[in-house]
Amino acid sequence: MLDGFEILTTSGVVLWSKSYAPLSSGLINGFIRDVFIEEKVLPSATTADDTSASQHSAYKREKYTLRWASVKDLGLIFVAVYQSLLHLSWVDKLLDNIRVLFVDLYGDQVRKPHSTVVECNFDDYFDQQVQELESSAEASQRTPQITRNDENLKTTPDEESEEPPPPIPGLLSGRKSPNSAAPSTDATPTSTPDTSRPSTPLNGHLLSAKATRGGTSRRARKAASGKPTAVDGLKEKSVGKAKGKQLRRWDADGMADEDEDVPLDYSATSDADSRPVSSAGVEPVDMAASGMRTSKGQYILKDLDDEVHSILQSAKQKNQRTETSKPTGVVGSSLGAISGLFRNVIGGKVLTKQDLEKPMKGMEDLLLKKNVAREAAVRLCEGVERELIGKKTGSFESIDTLLRTSLSSSLTKLLTPTTSLSLLTSITNITTTQQRPYTISIVGVNGVGKSTSLSKLAFFLLQNNLSLLIAACDTFRSGAVEQLRVHARNLKDLSDREHLGRVELYEKGYGKDAAHIARDAVAYAKDHNFDVVLIDTAGRRHNDARLMSSLEKFAELARPDKILMVGEALVGTDSVMQARAFNAAFGAKRGLDGFIISKCDTVGEMVGVLVSMVHATGIPVVFLGVGQHYGDLRTVNVGNVVGLLMS
Amino acid sequence: MAWTNSLSFMPEPTPVLILISVLLVVSIPLLLHLIIYSTTSDTLPTILLIGPSGAGKTALVTLLERGRPTATRTSQTPHTVEVSLPVKTPVASSRFRSPNDPTWEVTKKLLIQDTPGHGKLRHYAMDSISKPQSLQGIIFVVDAADLSSEAREGARQAAEYLHDVLLQLQKRATNSKSSRAPKEMPVLIAANKLDLFTALPAPLVKSTLESEITKLRKSLSAGLLDSGVGAKDLDVTEEHDWLGEVGDGPFEFSQLQEFNVQVKILAGNVTGVDGSDVKQWWNWIGSIL
Repeated sequence: MLDGFEILTTSGVVLWSKSYAPLSSGLINGFIRDVFIEEKVLPSATTADDTSASQHSAYKREKYTLRWASVKDLGLIFVAVYQSLLHLSWVDKLLDNIRVLFVDLYGDQVRKPHSTVVECNFDDYFDQQVQELESSAEASQRTPQITRNDENLKTTPDEESEEPPPPIPGLLSGRKSPNSAAPSTDATPTSTPDTSRPSTPLNGHLLSAKATRGGTSRRARKAASGKPTAVDGLKEKSVGKAKGKQLRRWDADGMADEDEDVPLDYSATSDADSRPVSSAGVEPVDMAASGMRTSKGQYILKDLDDEVHSILQSAKQKNQRTETSKPTGVVGSSLGAISGLFRNVIGGKVLTKQDLEKPMKGMEDLLLKKNVAREAAVRLCEGVERELIGKKTGSFESIDTLLRTSLSSSLTKLLTPTTSLSLLTSITNITTTQQRPYTISIVGVNGVGKSTSLSKLAFFLLQNNLSLLIAACDTFRSGAVEQLRVHARNLKDLSDREHLGRVELYEKGYGKDAAHIARDAVAYAKDHNFDVVLIDTAGRRHNDARLMSSLEKFAELARPDKILMVGEALVGTDSVMQARAFNAAFGAKRGLDGFIISKCDTVGEMVGVLVSMVHATGIPVVFLGVGQHYGDLRTVNVGNVVGLLMS
Repeated sequence: MAWTNSLSFMPEPTPVLILISVLLVVSIPLLLHLIIYSTTSDTLPTILLIGPSGAGKTALVTLLERGRPTATRTSQTPHTVEVSLPVKTPVASSRFRSPNDPTWEVTKKLLIQDTPGHGKLRHYAMDSISKPQSLQGIIFVVDAADLSSEAREGARQAAEYLHDVLLQLQKRATNSKSSRAPKEMPVLIAANKLDLFTALPAPLVKSTLESEITKLRKSLSAGLLDSGVGAKDLDVTEEHDWLGEVGDGPFEFSQLQEFNVQVKILAGNVTGVDGSDVKQWWNWIGSIL
């Protein structure tokens, strides 16, 4: 059972929603944040084709599973929410059908500029769909006898043949009754399209055939299944068959013929009757089912069914037509090619995968040239492609420009941090409210410049009159402690001369457990009123499980407020693996808080590492090392970086 | 004669030709007018709606548009909505008009541009501020109930965003080449969700935001320089941007008047048990049109 269904725009307005159980608004907000804005969850199944009944990707949050579908050019998102414990196989189908229905019924209203208002009475359509899909799903698990009957029902919307949905037994009588009850309307054949047939039989024949139409088609089906049945008369049967055939068409005549007597007072009764059905329902499905028993309820339900099915059917047909219409001879294809070329220049072209293939390749190459890791480049391009397929180019906008703007905006989105990165603000926040030192630890692969970055960071903090304790927790590599001692001495001299903050080195020699030294250093800093503890760690290869495993213990004992990983700008594809391995190394509860990218001065404009690392983990770059001096530490200017990447 | 020869390529003045030329002469200006005016229908006064995520921007837009708020979710894209000022709202541009003037009954239309408030999507808003076409004013929506929380996290985030926006506005004045002052830009800080028990009243919202901005600009000035990573940026040592009056004194919104930015703080609520109360905001909108 569904818990809720929502139709919303990308601009944030809920157009229509229905909830069967109370849902917190945080659920969908979180879903939008994670999936669409921060892109933490990348859709695994590619839902490239907009109208196919493909598997929609799911998103799990708390105890709910959310499945969604979207219409990009209208900016609509359809979300279905249900409990993860349930396994609802028909939700995909529901999303597809609802998407088609909603776009068909209210697409014009959504397209209207400068407005958020969409007047929709979508409840009935939705209930009808839920009921139909639910019952078909249930029935398919029951006895084979019913299964055969209902399988038809389930597959009708996506069946290739133009067969109308076989009437479910309850409806059958209802369908027969309007025809027999109101023969007067049928007796005016001038208004029916049947007269257009060349050899029109007598009126009486037509009428009788019509009156028994439901039965005949039934019989015809039975006959097809192998059971010979009694035939009233050859002529009548043939007429009936022909009639039946004709009725199966869901376009003009079939519909017109059927609905001819229905709309007589439908518009008046539908509002009055459908309202209580939808509004009274704690269990709307049951209500609808019971509503079917009343004679008026039959009318409405049937009509809604027809309308829904005709919409779905026409969408299907349109889809097929576009698929089949492609190879239509030399003239057609060349015309299409010319208009396509024209559209390329003038805009207003709906983008397909083929259009994007070549420029996408160019984009990917550009990114690779800028030292973006292959994995990140491919996934970025896929994201852009997913965003663009099905979009219309603006007037006088070529695909390339569209692609460029799209890529640069997605790079901007990627690199822009979600939260504020102001280190000083968070330090003052912690030291004033919690009366404890702020702990920053620095990790990274060997030789990327951990100690150098740490001393740059120390210099920056000293300039802000903070007192620092540098903990030398690299107890592994010889000379590591001495190196830090030199840095500490230099910084001390500097700060004494400039009357800045104070700095001290906490060292315990080599060979001890780094995690315990870190813990002791934090305790020492608390006793001696230091503001910030900077912990240097031993460099470790990210694929060395033994060394990486000690990080978890380290994070547990030292409890750093910020864990920054140093990565060098020179590294290529490996950056993705490094970032992932380090992010995962601190256990389930803790991850990295930011990156420091060192040696940025050596790479010029090949700053792809930033993109690779952020893309792999979703963790922002906090600082850049841009030189050999203590002052050569910078924050990231996203605009500049994107500009460099796109140049 | 030479001039008759040069004119000999001209066609004979037949009635049909005259008719065609008359038609052309009449229709071309008309068509041009239609084309130009249909493309520039966006010249309605625009008001930009910004603020942190979850402050109630989209809800406010729907309220202003249809008179009642609808359910909203986190926005991902900006959206422009046409709203009409309620009748009888005092409009600044017609303040000399007689109260009996029948034009009062005509509703005044304007556009409100809603922007997403999520940290990653603020570039939409920043773009709109930096190149304003018909921007008449900015409404910064802030959740007044969120400001009062103990951790001050909400206040800090709101102040950060507001700081960035005001700095951008200030740069308009400081970076402009001409000596002429930039167009006046009124900013309304709309303290939303006043129906909640924990919400701060407008004066407190003002002082909270001011003190947070004071702290923020101090720590920002002490922070590191922004940098691109290209070699050409390395030797550029730019000054830090400092919002408001230079000096150690606290930041006040009134300091921005120097840069033609008028900040006003008004409280209201979009949703609530007793309905919504946005009359003050409507009046502010009227006062800048």
